[in-house]
Formats: sequence, structure tokens, C-alpha cells
Amino acid sequence: MTAGRRGKSRRPVLRSGPLAVLTYLIRRLFAAAVMLVVIIMVVFGIFFLVPKWTGVDIAASFVGKQADPAAVEAVREKLGLSEPIHIQAWEFFKGIFAGRTYSTGGDVVHCSAPCFGYSFKSEQAVWPVLTDRFPVTLGLALGAAVLWLVFGVAAGVLSALKRGSLWDRGAMVAALAGVSLPIYFTGMLSLATFAFGLKWLDAQYVPFGRDPGGWFGGMILPWITLAFLYAAMYARITRATMMEVLGEDYIRTARAKGLPERTVIGKHAMRSTMTPILTMLGMDLGALIGGAILTESTFNLPGLGQAVLNAIRNQDLPIILGVVLITSLSVLLANLLVDVLYAVIDPRVRLA
Amino acid sequence: MTTQHASRRRTQALAAAAVVAGLLTTTACGGGGDKTSGVGYDAATTKVVNAGTTKGGALRFAATQDGDSWDTTRSYYGFAWNFMRYYSRQLVTYKTEPGKAGATLTPDLATDMGRVSDDGRTYTFTLRDEVSWEDGKPITSKDVKYGIERQWAQDVLSGGPVYLKDILDPDGEYHGPYQDESADKLGLKAVETPDDRTIVFRLPQRNSDFPQMLAIPSASPVRQDKDTKSKYGLRPFSSGPYRFESYDPGKDLQLVRNPQWKEASDPIRKAYPDTVDVKFFSNANDMDQRLIAGDYDLDLGQSGLSPQGRQTALKQHKGNLDNPLSGYVRYATFPQNVKPFDNEHCRRAVIHGADHLSLQTARGGPVAGGDIGTNMLPPTVPGAQGVTYDPFDMAGADRNGNVAKAKQELAACGKPDGFTTTIAVRNNKPVEVATAQSLQASLKKIGIDAQIDQYDGSQTSGIVGSPDNVAKKGYGIVIDGWAADFPSVQGFGRPLWDGKYVLESGNVNYALIKDKAIDDLFDAYAKEPDEAAKVRIATQINHKVMEGAYYLPFTYEKYLNWRGGRLTNVYMTDAYNGYDFISLGVNSAKSSKSSKSSQSSQ
Amino acid sequence: MTAPLHEPTAKAAPSPVAEAAPGAVDEAAAVGGDTGPVQGRSPARIAWERLKRDRLALTGGAVILALIVIAVLAPVISNLVGQDPDVFHEDRIDPLFGTPKGSLGGISGEHLLGVEPVNGRDIFARILHGARISLLVGFLSALVAVVLGTVLGIVAGFFGGWVDAAISRVMDGLLAFPQLLFIIALVSVMPNDMLGMTGSSVRVFVMILVIGFFGWPYIGRVVRGQTLSMREREYVEAARALGAGRLHILAKELLPNLVAPIVVYTTMMIPTNILTEAALSFLGVGVKPPTASWGQMLSNAIDYYDSDPLYMIVPGVAIFTTVLAFNLFGDGVRDALDPKSSR
Repeated sequence: MTAGRRGKSRRPVLRSGPLAVLTYLIRRLFAAAVMLVVIIMVVFGIFFLVPKWTGVDIAASFVGKQADPAAVEAVREKLGLSEPIHIQAWEFFKGIFAGRTYSTGGDVVHCSAPCFGYSFKSEQAVWPVLTDRFPVTLGLALGAAVLWLVFGVAAGVLSALKRGSLWDRGAMVAALAGVSLPIYFTGMLSLATFAFGLKWLDAQYVPFGRDPGGWFGGMILPWITLAFLYAAMYARITRATMMEVLGEDYIRTARAKGLPERTVIGKHAMRSTMTPILTMLGMDLGALIGGAILTESTFNLPGLGQAVLNAIRNQDLPIILGVVLITSLSVLLANLLVDVLYAVIDPRVRLA
Repeated sequence: MTTQHASRRRTQALAAAAVVAGLLTTTACGGGGDKTSGVGYDAATTKVVNAGTTKGGALRFAATQDGDSWDTTRSYYGFAWNFMRYYSRQLVTYKTEPGKAGATLTPDLATDMGRVSDDGRTYTFTLRDEVSWEDGKPITSKDVKYGIERQWAQDVLSGGPVYLKDILDPDGEYHGPYQDESADKLGLKAVETPDDRTIVFRLPQRNSDFPQMLAIPSASPVRQDKDTKSKYGLRPFSSGPYRFESYDPGKDLQLVRNPQWKEASDPIRKAYPDTVDVKFFSNANDMDQRLIAGDYDLDLGQSGLSPQGRQTALKQHKGNLDNPLSGYVRYATFPQNVKPFDNEHCRRAVIHGADHLSLQTARGGPVAGGDIGTNMLPPTVPGAQGVTYDPFDMAGADRNGNVAKAKQELAACGKPDGFTTTIAVRNNKPVEVATAQSLQASLKKIGIDAQIDQYDGSQTSGIVGSPDNVAKKGYGIVIDGWAADFPSVQGFGRPLWDGKYVLESGNVNYALIKDKAIDDLFDAYAKEPDEAAKVRIATQINHKVMEGAYYLPFTYEKYLNWRGGRLTNVYMTDAYNGYDFISLGVNSAKSSKSSKSSQSSQ
Repeated sequence: MTAPLHEPTAKAAPSPVAEAAPGAVDEAAAVGGDTGPVQGRSPARIAWERLKRDRLALTGGAVILALIVIAVLAPVISNLVGQDPDVFHEDRIDPLFGTPKGSLGGISGEHLLGVEPVNGRDIFARILHGARISLLVGFLSALVAVVLGTVLGIVAGFFGGWVDAAISRVMDGLLAFPQLLFIIALVSVMPNDMLGMTGSSVRVFVMILVIGFFGWPYIGRVVRGQTLSMREREYVEAARALGAGRLHILAKELLPNLVAPIVVYTTMMIPTNILTEAALSFLGVGVKPPTASWGQMLSNAIDYYDSDPLYMIVPGVAIFTTVLAFNLFGDGVRDALDPKSSR
């Protein structure tokens, strides 16, 4: 993923400079755009072709009980399902930039640009649904990320410095436990314990705009639950990387020079340690922003994950497609961002 | 409808309820529950609890599922029909009274129940004075006609019931208001509006259940200039005491008072609370906990608590529970286009082989599941005989199945060693799967090897609703449930049992019953003006269906319904087999949490 | 890395080698090969000695072995205790609440871990049989990923050029894909019978293929990186100079050196796959009834978290123990194979 780090490139190496950064950026953006197009095509293929093989009539499922064939046909037309697949895909692409109009039986529905499809189940354009639910998921992901970064990295660094100690062993076993528990299990358990049982926290979602305090209170349990999983992972990675880095020559040199230990660890070692952490953070955040399905459904958070789970249950393809796309997009963007950050953080990384 | 719990149809307080109540007292601590409400277990099933006329406050619904649509034309969920009375009015509607009386009709927009003439084929209604839309304009007969015409636009407004369309235009001559050539878009010939206050329906054929069909929300008025077609469900234009303030599908919904509604014009709606809030949950256990904690007042879906909440509530808050019939019959049916279920004896073998008690337990036992179903007509439909008609001895001696009889039937069917088949069951409710597994286990004992195939519950119409697909997949047993659309054998059984209702897609006559005797009885029922005779025909139809061994009924479904302590004027109505939403009020002083929760409930 | 499968498998991060130990990629040297015969012992032997000293890893390994035995012998063991995972025992159920009679989820001499609510099936027997599904999916999907990842990784690294570019882009694409979402959607549109299989077999088959398919880029990237760097090494150059064919070089020189990272990744991937299977069954797109699966048991148990907590705890602990065992063992293997970590 992280092109900057991958393997050895035999191409001439460019030193970072404004021009190099620009070409690099353009190249990466282009690659990301191509990737997105490919993903759209694959998703289209899966959702529109597989039901055909399996004999599931998408249009019929939209019509409901006692559907008369004419109604099914009309819905099929409205959805554009009778068109060849490439036409459907093209219509979709076009809609993103130019908007789209669906019409049948005297009903005209306009979906303005950027049109990422239209849900005929809930009679809404997909894009507003995505933008409406995005902040919820973003809040969940960012809040949890802060927690897991702080605690995960701190635990990892401490473990690496006190390798073999009781602390190290304990922290690493706890971390293993963290990554070995399904999140819906820890989620339900924490809900049952802290919200219903002890009544310490009320994990109810309140929009930030309405009551920031209530929002914060309601998010604490989801944050902790999600962060527990990731903190464990980050602690393990941090420890491994830190140990690796501490064995490197430049650290020995720094120590030999008589630099205080705090500077050696805090400035030199941490810098290298953060590189892989950042890579992971980019991908994890990207993926989480696309919807933390299990966390959101456990805690009733009205985010993208909940939307997509409902959509899957209702076979609401346009919404599924929209969320898949937004997730892919955020993963791609997050990675891009991370790669650019690399160049800033780690001078050894070149823009290959 | 079959996927949903929410339902309609009248409840008869059965003797069984008393038995169950006795059983309950042994496990639950006292019968008090919420002391302040001073009411008890199952109190609201037959009478009004916490009668009161206090206005104000926020009524807070919690739900695990959004309505299928809030467009009056497009909904088929019972709870949605119940809720729609907040913002829509019909010519006639159900009385706001507990129990059985709640399922009888009364005039709403109309001044009376309609004047019938022309040998029962013409109905004339006059609208009340001062009935108005939320912008203050009067509701006219043309608005009513336009609202009804929308049923014809199935290509745009799919999903709702189409009884009026089938009755008024059996040959499909009209194409709906959106393709209407006439200038006023009121081209439907069977309905006339001689003036703004008068509406006349001319039925090609008599149908004794016609007024019932006018009480379904799909017969509500819709104003042409406010018809946003497919998007209407996002913001319906109100003719009732409340109007939409905000709605975010799958998240929340809020109704506020409609200042243009005049109480004097409406004999039905009391409109006690100031706002009606709905909050949607994705975690049912979380929702139940919050109901019990008092953060919310009642469940919008009216489908009962989940197992965990059920236990907590029964043990600690029994007085806040009611245990009504849901109106559903839960059953398995045998598509005759899948061998060997074309043979009556093989069908009988399955019915005899099934362990009815085990099936009842799988569905939640006598309280949360319901009594063992012994025939196909739910006790809430006139003409039903309940457990007194038990042709297969399901609730009697053979409640655990009768292996000997089953083997006999297998031999008669030419499959003495049993056979293999597939049980089709929806995947979206654990109880459905548990039922299938129970059936699978008991059939194993008579040599029938049944595979369970779970299908996507949202895909019903294309999967089990397509006879071709059923044959292709070899679904010999389909597990399903059904409740009446309106309280009669026609409203319950016609789509299921009438041979004319077999469809290519969206079929619900899964068994593919094509019995002329049954079809003729339905025709006779529709023509019969006499109530007592109608009841007799209903009984006959039920017997014919059971004699054909097309169905294995499981239970007459019941559920445990949470009644929040703040609620006033609570009672179960047999019209919707749930609390009568429109009559509910709240006693705001009762819960300190009210203000906080109403905030988060939007 | 973990990304696409976000939460349930987020731990996936078989990152230990790829990211956590950047050296492993950039200096493939680290693993195997050129640490040289300092002490006159083979690298495999060194690794084994190291592993032997890691008690946690050994415990993990022992648990894994025990689980495999349990899974293989599940029908035998459940016969021994006289329980069938699919037989109902409604007499053990309180008809009012649907929960098991007696305390602790109905534990008795007959039902060692109690019975399920509603239908009273024996939990012990179901846990045993559930182990089969978990391990089957865990191992086989890892196998799919390893085969695909190794082959494509080597091809990319060895041939370079446009082949490399194409494969790398595919890997990037797969990693950017919302995996769990995609798997759920795909499994739910799969037919009920295919290739002569019905019921749960179809689901298990599809899960193995799909989880494996989304897993290969993790291995593919590492293998590619290793291959790329090894290609430049003297012994490969030497072999090439001596006129060895490409295939020969692949088989003789590269593969042995790839064993270590592949082993490490596999042990990291298996627990991830087990969690994914559990999550899929939890969401209702996993195995079909009456087949027992841990994830599905956990999913059903959530409705009884307070009234019958044992029902939730048993499969939860089963998943936890298994995944923990694999992780401990995987860590041990990684440490043992990585000469830089000096435990």
C-alpha cells in the first residue's frame, strides 16, 4: 500500500523538493482515481450480476407483497435494471458529475450532482444519506483513534523499554486479549455492565450540534470499546517496532554521543517508530470511516455502518454501493495522506 | 405484511390468558409492577388503563424498524397503519375503544357510515364541516377521490394494499392519476364527486367488506398539489391532528400539533400529547432496556419484548406488561408443486409427525409465543372456532406428534421410508429459524430429512412468492405467518386460499390451493349481506382449508407488550392488535427522565 | 493493513513482519538465509530452539493441537457424553421464559456446559462441533490466501515490470476494499446450492474462498518484497550466472527463503479468519442451522446476556481462547524466526 516504503525501487531516486512532491501527488491522485473506477466496476458487477445468476429478482423485491407484474416491470425500468450492465455503470458515472433523473409512470425523481444513486426503498438520494451519516462515523473513528493512539503507543513504548519485565508481559497478554475478542461481544458486555447494570454511562447517541456534552457522554462507551481492540493492536506493533529501532546503529550512535536517554527515545527512536504506526492509522481510519458496522449496530449509532447494515438487510443496493465507494475513497485518501506525511516525518523515505 | 409482527384483528380475551396469568404469578414477584400506575398485568388488553385527559408532553416511541413507508398509499405494516391516524383521516375508521369494540367501524371524515343503495353496489358519503388540511384549506371529496386513485399508480407507489383498486376496477381500465388524461386527474369512473362534500362509490359487484377497505389508510385523502409522488412518504401532508416536523429514515421522526385541525370536526382523535417522537434502534436489547428504564414509553412496532427484556420485565415490572394476541397465525405450508407434497398423504404425514408443543416452545412458549394453533383462522376473525376446532388433535393427545399416524400416512403416500425436502424460512428473526429447527428435529423421527434454507426476509416476493422459484429450489415446506388486513375471513384468507390469487411473483398462496369449493365460498361471502351468514361461511372456508391438509398451524401468536408508566388512556385495540396510538396521552410529571430523553429521541 | 476488515479482524494486522519490522522487507536478509551458519546450526534448528524456550508460545501451540484433536474427534467425544448437537431437550427449558431450568444455564452431569435457551440443545456438543467450522474456515481460507499470495507475490517480484505493476495495483485495490461489507453482501447473494453442495457446506465453501481471496494481498506484498530483494542477492545472481533457469531459481533459491515469512503470516492470519467467520455468522450470513458455529451461538446468546449469561460466555470464551492461542503461537514463531528479536 505504502508505495514509499515498498521494496527497493531501481528507478532513480528523487530527493524531496516542491516539484517532486507535486509530481508525486499528481501520480498518486491519478492512481487513486483509477482504483476508484475499478472498484466501482467490480462492485457493480457483484451486485448486479450475481443476483442474476442466483435467480433473485431485485425489482420484485422492491415491490413487496402481492406485486403485480406490471409494478415489477415499472420498478425494473426505474432502476434501469433492464439496461445492459455497462450502460447502468455509465449512467452511474455520469450521475456523479452531472446528476441524474429517474422517471417512470409519470413520476420524475431528480438526483442532483453528485448523484451516487437513489434509494428506492427510502426514496432518498444516496449522497445526502452519506453526508448525513458521515459525521457520526467520523466522530466515532476519530475519538477512538485518539484513545488507542495514546494508550496503545504508550503501552507499546513502555513495554519495549522494559522488555521482559512484568509490565511488558502483562501489557502484551492484555493486548493479545484485546485483539482476540469479537467487538460485538465486548460491546454488548460493556453496554450490559456500564450502561444497564451500573448505570455509569448512558450510551445514547445525541447529535453533537444539539448537545456537545450529551454527545461526548454517549460516545464514551463506543470509543472505549473500539479503542480497546485497536489499542491492543497498536501496542503490539509499537513494541515490536521500537525494539527494532532501538537496535539500529543511529540510536547507538546517539547514545554514544552522550545524548540524554529522553532525547534518544523521544526524538530519534519515536520518529522511526511512528512511521509504521502512521501507515496503519491511515488504513484503519479509512476503513472505520467507511462504517464500523458492528460497533455502530451494537451502540445504535446512526452512522454509515448502521446504514449499510440496514441496506444489506433490505437489499438496498444503491446505499450499499454508496457506502462501499465512500469507504474505498476514504481508505485511498487516508493512504495518500499518510504517504505524504511520511516524506515529512521520515527523511529516509523518498518519493519513489 | 408477513414479515412484520405488527398486525390487525380483534383479540378475544381467551380463557388461556387466565391460565397463563396464574402461571405467571408463581414466578413473578407480586403483580404490582409499576406501583404508581396502580394497574396490573394484562390490564390494558380489555380495558382502558390510566384514563386521563391531560394534554401536553412528548409521547416517545422506540422502534427497531422504520415503517415500510409513511405514505398512506404505500404501507402494509400494521403499526404504520396504527400510527397514520395521527396525520391522516379516512371516511370511516375504527372506534377508539378497547378490545373487540375497537375493531368496529365508525364515521371519521364522513358524517355517517354511508348510504347503501343499488342492491349494495352504491355507497354515498357526505363529508363533515370544518375538516381541513394542515394549511387550513378544507378537505374535499375530490381530495378523497384523488387519494384513493393513487392506489392505481402501483408503478410509482408500490407496497400498499390494493383492495379498492381490485373491487372498483376489476378489469384494470384506469391507469392511475399520474397517467390520467383528464384535466383534473380524477378520471376514475367508479368514484363520483358531485360536489365538494359528497362522494359516491359505484361497485361493479357487491362486496360486503367494502367499508372495511375504506378504513385502511390507503383510502385517505391526498391533496393533488401536495402530492410529491414517490417522495410523499418522506413528508405526508396532514389531515389529522399532527403534522410531520422532521423525519430522517431509520434514525428518527417527530410529529407536532397541526394547528389547523379542529377537535370539533373529529369524533375519534383526542390528541393529548404535544409531540409524538419516534427513535429507531439497531440493537433490540438496548431498546428494551431503555423502555424498561422509562426513557421511552412504548414500542412502535408493537411486536413484543425480546427474550432478555421479556424476562427482566416479567420479573421486575409485571404490572407494565400486556399479553395480547398479535392477530397472526404462525404456520408451515406445503407448496403442491414440490413433490411429494402434491400428495395429500405426505402433507398429512408432516402434520401428524410435527411436535406441536416443541414448535410452541420454539416460538417462545404460551406467553411470548401463543397458544398452539389448531386451525388456520385466527381467533380474532369472525367465524373462528379457536382451539375448539382441532381436526388433527394438535393441542390434545397428539401435542407431541403422533409417529404412528404419520408413518401410516407416509405409507399411504408411497413413501414408507420417508423422503427428503427443504424447509424455507426467513432469516431475519431468530424465532423463525428456531421454529424451522424444531420442525426439522421432529420430522427426522419419522424419516423425513429436511434441510433448512434461510432466505433474505426482504426478498419474500421473489423467493417464496414465486411458484417457479419454489419448485426450482424444492421448498416443500414454507414457514410463514399471516394476519388479516381487515377483520374478516376475506381480509385474512382470500389472498392465501383463493385459487384466483395465485401469482407469478409476490404470490402468497404458497400451497397453490386451487379448490373450486373454496373459491365459491369466498364469492358467496362477498355477496352475503347478513352478518350471521357471513360468519357461517367463514367457518366453512376454514374447515375446507384444514381438510385439504395444506397447512400446519403452529400458534395463535401472542406477545408481551411494554406499557410505559407515563402513558395515559392505554388500551389494546383489536383493529391494530396493539395499543391504540391515537388515544395515548402522557403524564409528564411521572418521569424525571422525560425531558432529557425526549431530546435524544429525535 | 487490517483496514478493510475493520473491526472484527482489525487485529489482522499481520503487520508484525511487514510494518512492525520494516527491516524484514527492506533487508530481507533478516529472515533465514544470510544470518549465516554462525553457530553451525541450521536456521530452522535455531528457530526451533528459540521456540522451545518460549513457554507462552508453546502453551498456545498445545491449545491449538488440542483444538484440532477436539475438532476432528467432535462426533466421537459428543457420543461419549451421549449428546448430539442437534437434538432438542425442551424438557430442560422453562416454558415461560424460554431459558434453561436450573441455575448456571442448565449445567448438569448430562449437559456439561448447560443447554441452549428455547430448544435445549446441548451446548457442550455444539461447542465441539463449532470448533470444526472455526478451524476449517480458519485454516482453509489461510491456505487459499497463502497459495494465491505466494504465487502472485513471487511472480510480481521475480518478473517485475508491468507484471509487477499490475499485481501490485490489484493488491492495493483489494486492500482498499471494504472487506467485511463486501463479504456480507456477497455471501448473502450466493445461491443455496452449488457444485453439488447444499446448506452449510455452500456457506462454508464461499466463506473460505472469499476470506482467503481478501487475505492474499497481505502475504502477496511480503512475498513480493522478499522476492524483489532476494533477486538481487549474490547467490541468485550466481545461480543465474551459472545458467540456471528461472524456474530452477524460483524453486531452489527463493522458495526456501520465503518459508519463514509465510509461516509467520499464516499463523497471524488464521485467528483473523476465525474472527471473521464468527462475525459473519454473528451477522447471519455464516453457516446455516442446525450447523453449530461459535459466532452464531454468540449471536443468539446476545438476546440472553443477562438471563442466561453462560450461553454467551461459553462461545465467547471459546473464540477468545482459540484466537489467543493462535496469536501467542504466532508471536512465538515470529520471534523465533526473526534473529533480531533476542528473547
